[in-house]
Amino acid sequence: MPPKSSAGKEKDLAGEDDVLQAVILADSFNRRFRPLTVGKPRCLLPVCNATLLDWTFESLALAGVQEIFVICRSYAAQVKAAIQESKWSKPTSGIKIVPIITSKETFTPGDAMRDIYTHGIIKTDFVLVMGDLVSNVRIDEVVRIHKERRKTNKDAIMTMVVKESGATHRTRSRADYGVFVLDTETSECLHYEAAVGYPPTRHVRVPRDVLAEHPEVEIRNDLIDCSIDVCSVEVPSLFQDNFDYGDIRRDFVHGVLTSDLLMKNIYCYVVKEGYAARVADTRSYDSVSKDILSRWTFPLVPDDNHPSGHSYEYLRSNTYIAKDSSVVLSRTCKVNGPSLIGSHSTISPGAVITASVIGQRCTIGPNAVVSHSYLFDDTHLGAGVVVEQSIVGARVAIGEGSRIARGSLVGDGVTLGTGARLGPFERVSRRRSQAEDEESDEEWEEVEQNQGDNTATVGEGSNAIVWPKGPSEDDEELEEVERYDNQRLMRIGDDAADLLAHSAADASDSSSDGEDASDASSVHALSTAAAEHEFQAEVTQSLDRAFAEGHSVDNAAVELKTLRMASNVDLRRVREAVVAAIVERVPLVAGGPAAQRAEIAALVARWGPLINQIGGVDPVETVEVLQYHCARSTRQPLFGQLLAALYQDDIVDEDDIRAWHASGAARGQGLKPGAVLEGVKHCWRVGGKMIEQFDAQESSDEEEDEESDDE
Amino acid sequence: MDFDESSVKVATQEFVAVVLAGFGTNLIPLTSNHGDEPCPKALLPIANRPMLDYPLSWLEGSRIRDVLLICPAPQKAAISHYLHSDSSASSFPSLRIDLQIYDETVESGQGTCDVLRQIANRIKQDFVVIPCDFVPPPSFNLTAVLDKFRTESTYDGSIATACFFEAPKPDKNTVTEEWGMLPPPLPIVWDNKTGTLLHVDTPDDFDQHNEDLQLTMSLLTSYPRAMLSTSFQDAHVYVCRRSVLDALQEKSDIESLREEFIPWLCEIQYSTSKRAKYGAILNPPSNATTQNLALQHSTLHTTLPKHPHHLAPPSTEDVRTAASSPLDPEPAEFHDVSFRVGIILHRATQGFAARANTLQTYLDVNRHCLTQTTYSLPTDSESRALIDTKAQISSDSMVGHTTKVGERTSIKKSVIGKHCIIGKMVKVVGCVVLDHCVIADGAKLDGCILGKNTKIGAKAELSKCVTQAGYEVEGGESFKNEKLDVSDWTVPDDTSEEDDNAQSDVGDDSA
Repeated sequence: MPPKSSAGKEKDLAGEDDVLQAVILADSFNRRFRPLTVGKPRCLLPVCNATLLDWTFESLALAGVQEIFVICRSYAAQVKAAIQESKWSKPTSGIKIVPIITSKETFTPGDAMRDIYTHGIIKTDFVLVMGDLVSNVRIDEVVRIHKERRKTNKDAIMTMVVKESGATHRTRSRADYGVFVLDTETSECLHYEAAVGYPPTRHVRVPRDVLAEHPEVEIRNDLIDCSIDVCSVEVPSLFQDNFDYGDIRRDFVHGVLTSDLLMKNIYCYVVKEGYAARVADTRSYDSVSKDILSRWTFPLVPDDNHPSGHSYEYLRSNTYIAKDSSVVLSRTCKVNGPSLIGSHSTISPGAVITASVIGQRCTIGPNAVVSHSYLFDDTHLGAGVVVEQSIVGARVAIGEGSRIARGSLVGDGVTLGTGARLGPFERVSRRRSQAEDEESDEEWEEVEQNQGDNTATVGEGSNAIVWPKGPSEDDEELEEVERYDNQRLMRIGDDAADLLAHSAADASDSSSDGEDASDASSVHALSTAAAEHEFQAEVTQSLDRAFAEGHSVDNAAVELKTLRMASNVDLRRVREAVVAAIVERVPLVAGGPAAQRAEIAALVARWGPLINQIGGVDPVETVEVLQYHCARSTRQPLFGQLLAALYQDDIVDEDDIRAWHASGAARGQGLKPGAVLEGVKHCWRVGGKMIEQFDAQESSDEEEDEESDDE
Repeated sequence: MDFDESSVKVATQEFVAVVLAGFGTNLIPLTSNHGDEPCPKALLPIANRPMLDYPLSWLEGSRIRDVLLICPAPQKAAISHYLHSDSSASSFPSLRIDLQIYDETVESGQGTCDVLRQIANRIKQDFVVIPCDFVPPPSFNLTAVLDKFRTESTYDGSIATACFFEAPKPDKNTVTEEWGMLPPPLPIVWDNKTGTLLHVDTPDDFDQHNEDLQLTMSLLTSYPRAMLSTSFQDAHVYVCRRSVLDALQEKSDIESLREEFIPWLCEIQYSTSKRAKYGAILNPPSNATTQNLALQHSTLHTTLPKHPHHLAPPSTEDVRTAASSPLDPEPAEFHDVSFRVGIILHRATQGFAARANTLQTYLDVNRHCLTQTTYSLPTDSESRALIDTKAQISSDSMVGHTTKVGERTSIKKSVIGKHCIIGKMVKVVGCVVLDHCVIADGAKLDGCILGKNTKIGAKAELSKCVTQAGYEVEGGESFKNEKLDVSDWTVPDDTSEEDDNAQSDVGDDSA
């Protein structure tokens, strides 16, 4: 049987020739780590004092990968240099690492895959990972299963490695996750549905034709997607053919599975043992660091197999201290685990380190507190500095008594002055000197141009610029995953309680399906309250502008009308807002009642007509609104004068005041006893006096009639 | 000594069984009236025992005593007669059967929920709903279902338990499309670990999203590892808390128990708004001592983790609790109540189960029963004398009492009822012949169901036909794949079939 034996030989040869190749997409293709990633690629950020790229290499080496292609885009030169310096480029390492630089126009992983195709570097099945992987999973086992499967089914083009966890595992992203529909027998992935955290994905849709072929399937929402894919050679070419594929999961996997033409299969490998996670955002940076310190990644732990070759001593309560006895720990400092302190660092007396990572050559000043934070190399904290749940870059100096609140990110090389106060989720970076020739970065330049006076925040003598908070202007144009609200779920230290409360309220709305009327109405009330609140804020701003810039009454009225239409609120709310704005803007004058009256008259003469221009004239309500506002405000004494001024300007007339005075609301009916009721009653009495004067001076000229009202 | 009597009164029964007997519109023409006499679905024989026998003996095996048997008003006499006849009274001595009627005509099409609402005042305790057409296999014990309900309702506040069975794939050759299409099984979603029914994809859902099956994210967050399958059928066996009836009264627009109410009930366990609304109804505050404390001390008992963390690094902050806010609509007292709907799955490998609610399944159940028994000629001389020595009756057949079988007649894989007269040279293969039929010489029957008192003329040939009670086939006629009704036996038209389809959804449910 000569033919058969030769065929067998061929297969054997093929097996020997097989070099396990891996491709690392080193670029993040997003801006989640800004401003830590200005001037540095994400894959060179240190996690437990070793760069992410090193962790990824280590993970791949553990899996028996022999040849690695690193696809880099931004700061490619730095990545190249880092690879050359690392232990992996030594001839004894047994791994060949080839950096590949792609063009600036590579915006998505899909673009990178197309680049791989054009380079033609892939000859066999390969492992595709992101440059932010920390894992101890035996990927070679997955590769073996993948190749086994390929022998019988040529269409099985990809095997995704996913880790079993729970739906609310801390390392599982709440903002960007996927639901896998798997065949229970073969763990073939039949459907993939991407989900985002905010606005929360409500429904998962399983195509019915999946059920026709697979009578029993499993829907899994408890898998951490580690973005380790064992791909066959066709995968890059599929990206090439479908030029619109951007994301590997959302576009490629979803596209292949739902396509009627491609007829390819994708499988999952569910890892039950071992650890695999991505450092995709600052939140996972935090959780992965803690997982490493808690030794979930064993054998990849700081005291053994540290990717940067540092050696640490493993002490109780998961504390690691550099072994070369260069760390200076003062007698009265306190280090609570899980923490890691790099070599040549100094912890001064009274300092407290809790669950944090301190880089190399750092100094922590006396009585400083560092909790749940990450300090990169060469960073110096002054005395009494407090850092909470933040990431501080390399070569940062923070002045005495400064406070870095939770969720802050401090870029490399920043100097903060004495007593700097960074609020929660503040992001600061270093102002560039003119001479520096960095890679151009539009966002950075924009931030630099829009700097106001931040001395209060960053302290005296600081070189820091503060990055804007809140959603950027082009937020709507971004992909759903990258929008501001969703990104909040990926921030370190952000529990996003308000978003979750929101989404919980929304959830009840969608699940009620309109059948439970009361459910809907309660949610409606809730959203109305939110809308009103927003409206109040908008109106205040709008009036602020109008007052400050001296708009005409007509223009101001138009603006208010638009706001009212947009928020769909009651006319009364608008009236309240306008009256409140006028009352609060009365300048308080010390020069006695007459001067005060003149001020009020001037203001009412200028802005009073606005009350009646907002749509609908209801003077009785105006008086009532004025009364209730004054009753709540500290400006209650002005009520009489204001009412008189309104009367002077014909905004209200005598009959309106009488009608108001006779109404129940004016007497404070239905109010709970308290300061407000007292105020309302007082105003009512003031109005009563005014009516008495109307009665007394029925025919006479009422020039001086409010004299008695003055307090 | 009145000691015995009083002790009986004091002991209230834990469960009451509600057996629903409907018109069986999907079994027309078998259930069409025979003249003025109704042919109740509950009394159609399966392997020569009335269908009703199967659920009743199942109940008896679980030691449930009180049975509320609900039937349509016109059928009361017939069913009551059966219950008091020797055959049943002697076989179920321990059951106290209370026969109740509901006012329904075939046309009005009341749903199962309406029926339950009507009799709600008669149910004082937790109850089991059972259809009259469920034929459970010996391996499937009702006690197992009750036990699951007992445990779960005690320790984590489960409100109901449902049963599903894996229906064997219908063989393409035996399915006769003219008998009406089998309704496609509803996809169900359940959690294997805790045995919880999570979602039933109702026909309404299918109408709304016929491309995809929609699941809410809240379901997948609470139960991140859900199973989805289309191969299971609802046995229509539900063990429910009494309070479920109160919820049923609230939802007055729901008609069908299987297609609307149970799917709705499943949503309560993960929908916070529904919980807030119906929690108080479904879990009324009571002073009854629970066994929580005892269960907590049990070494064998594990509390159900709401979010299982397999091999997870310990979570420093639970996302859910961190997000507590004043908007949280869930009252505190419902936190430890799961409102789950339990599920018992009966796999095909564990034994054949079926509901005889369509013509096809009725035939299948009969055939299945034949494989369980072996026929031997009657031993008493009187019956023996009626069967001709030259008749061939295969061992996988069944012949009722005082049935006469003529010379050189062959009967294979068939059930022949009581008091039938079968002539000479007749061939009967794979048929179900009900009582009092007369089959004349030389007739050939293949895969047919003959209603009672059917008369088949000499040398008639019928293949895959169903006849209404009292139908007469003339000699020499031949029919294939037809439903033969008395009213239109001369001109078999299509209108009756359309009616069937229109009513099928209700009929299927009214069991």
